[in-house]
Amino acid sequence: MKKALVVSVMIVLALLVLLPVLWTISTSMKPLNEVNKCPPQWTSPTMSFKPYSDMFFYLPFSTYTLNSLIVATSATALTLLIGCLAAFSLSRFAFAGKDIFLLIILLSQMLPGASVIIPLFQLLRHAGLYDTYLGLILVHTAVLLPFVIWLMHGFFQTIPRDIEDAALIDGCSRMEALRRVILPLALPGIGATALFAFLGSWNEFFFALILTSSDSTRTIPVGIGLFVGEYLDVWNQMAAAAVLFSLPPLILFVLTRKTFIKGLVAGAGK
Amino acid sequence: MKRLTPYLLLVPALLFTLFVLIYPLIQNLINSLSDVSMITGSSGWAGLQNYQNVFEDALFWRSFRNTAVYAIAGTVLALVIGLGFALLLNLKLGKFSTIMGCLYTIPWVISPVVAGFAWKWLLNDNFGIVNFWLSYAGIVPIGTTWLGDPGTALLSVMVARVWQFYPFAMVMFLAGMQSIPQEQYEAAAVDGATMVRRFFYITLPNLKAVGSVLLVLGVIWSFNDFNMVFVMTRGGPMNSSMVLPVLVREFSFVHFDLGKGSALSIIIFGLLTTLSFLYLKVVSRGEPS
Repeated sequence: MKKALVVSVMIVLALLVLLPVLWTISTSMKPLNEVNKCPPQWTSPTMSFKPYSDMFFYLPFSTYTLNSLIVATSATALTLLIGCLAAFSLSRFAFAGKDIFLLIILLSQMLPGASVIIPLFQLLRHAGLYDTYLGLILVHTAVLLPFVIWLMHGFFQTIPRDIEDAALIDGCSRMEALRRVILPLALPGIGATALFAFLGSWNEFFFALILTSSDSTRTIPVGIGLFVGEYLDVWNQMAAAAVLFSLPPLILFVLTRKTFIKGLVAGAGK
Repeated sequence: MKRLTPYLLLVPALLFTLFVLIYPLIQNLINSLSDVSMITGSSGWAGLQNYQNVFEDALFWRSFRNTAVYAIAGTVLALVIGLGFALLLNLKLGKFSTIMGCLYTIPWVISPVVAGFAWKWLLNDNFGIVNFWLSYAGIVPIGTTWLGDPGTALLSVMVARVWQFYPFAMVMFLAGMQSIPQEQYEAAAVDGATMVRRFFYITLPNLKAVGSVLLVLGVIWSFNDFNMVFVMTRGGPMNSSMVLPVLVREFSFVHFDLGKGSALSIIIFGLLTTLSFLYLKVVSRGEPS
């Protein structure tokens, strides 16, 4: 009896929490005249996926999607490469200045985007990188790097040194040991980190908004963020864009739920 | 050569840190002390004029108040809700709890921009479902403009922010609860402690460390939050929901006063650094030495 009560409370809470999501999905499938209807209805007989195809037709969302994919993939690859090297150094060597470096990493994770954006904007403009893929990729890499190093550092430390020592005795150099022994063992951790990095770049809005200015480089969040203010009348297409945009993170989350939550707890607890 | 290896491996990461952290901060400091305008392109020494301009701007103080309310009240609310959800999930109803835990975490996974959009549409004065239900129940008049009314705009954005942040608190609290030694509860059960007493005397004290970390971290993150406010209200109406990060953009890229924007961003940096050191203190205190 008590259990039934708890279960029903939990289901009601789930519905309440998912209300914005469900309402957006419902909106994304309704024709415009149904969307702007009072009283609002959850379903209608005329529901279809038409707003999804309309969205690609009327708004430049296929370009935005391509931009987002290019930026997020490149930023992820670059961050992982640089982050792996740094994390390897931090977890396997003892050297002067290590603590200071770790402190800088931790502090830069807290750095407000607002307090670096203006010089970054000026720098990119001088370098001719304003409103380009490369500019945004470099900035995203820099922004994601501290967190990635932090996570990888944790994963590397869980790999027993004995294995590496054995490789060294067998005649591997340090770098060979990294490539042949540590990286394969750290692969699940690297996968989880790649996911974080990809989502971080995919969802990033502030830098992408200010450091791009044309449709040919804008990413999806910028498209959605700007259009929310401008094209208020096409709520159903905007909702369709929002749903499509949220799918990759959601799918990745469901697939990697356990590692994701473990990483969350580890990342903030340290 | 061998002794240089650890440093060489750090060089690429250091270059990026230099590029995103150290250079911009120094440049920002210089900007904040100069007279830089994007329109005239002129740049001369301005002393503390920019800072004075910021401090004399009533909008700065208003945004500061808004940001503080948004960050502190929002975080506390998210923590309370997260704790409640974690308690429910900790009842351990097998697969059901797993599925519910997954569903409760979804708001955290969704992009802030999408979350802002979804809430904006949910709270729409004419066609939003919230208004329809609340006015149907007679709680608010028909056509209440949540985001268009200076009295409710900030509160509405805060609700959306709480919605995004509580899952993080929930996950952390749940992890904390699961690491509480079971013996403590067993001993309490033997002593005949009620559920409420067990919560206040065992669960809550054990969660103090994780709770304080969450509080500081949540305040820092919300203090920095640009996305939700920008997407939902852009700081309006009449600056009633203006927060500091949005104000930096306003000063710099709407009024084109980079000097004033830089001064403001240095002020934010100062505030945040103070908070970060507080965080480090909280974290190191929580660690068993």
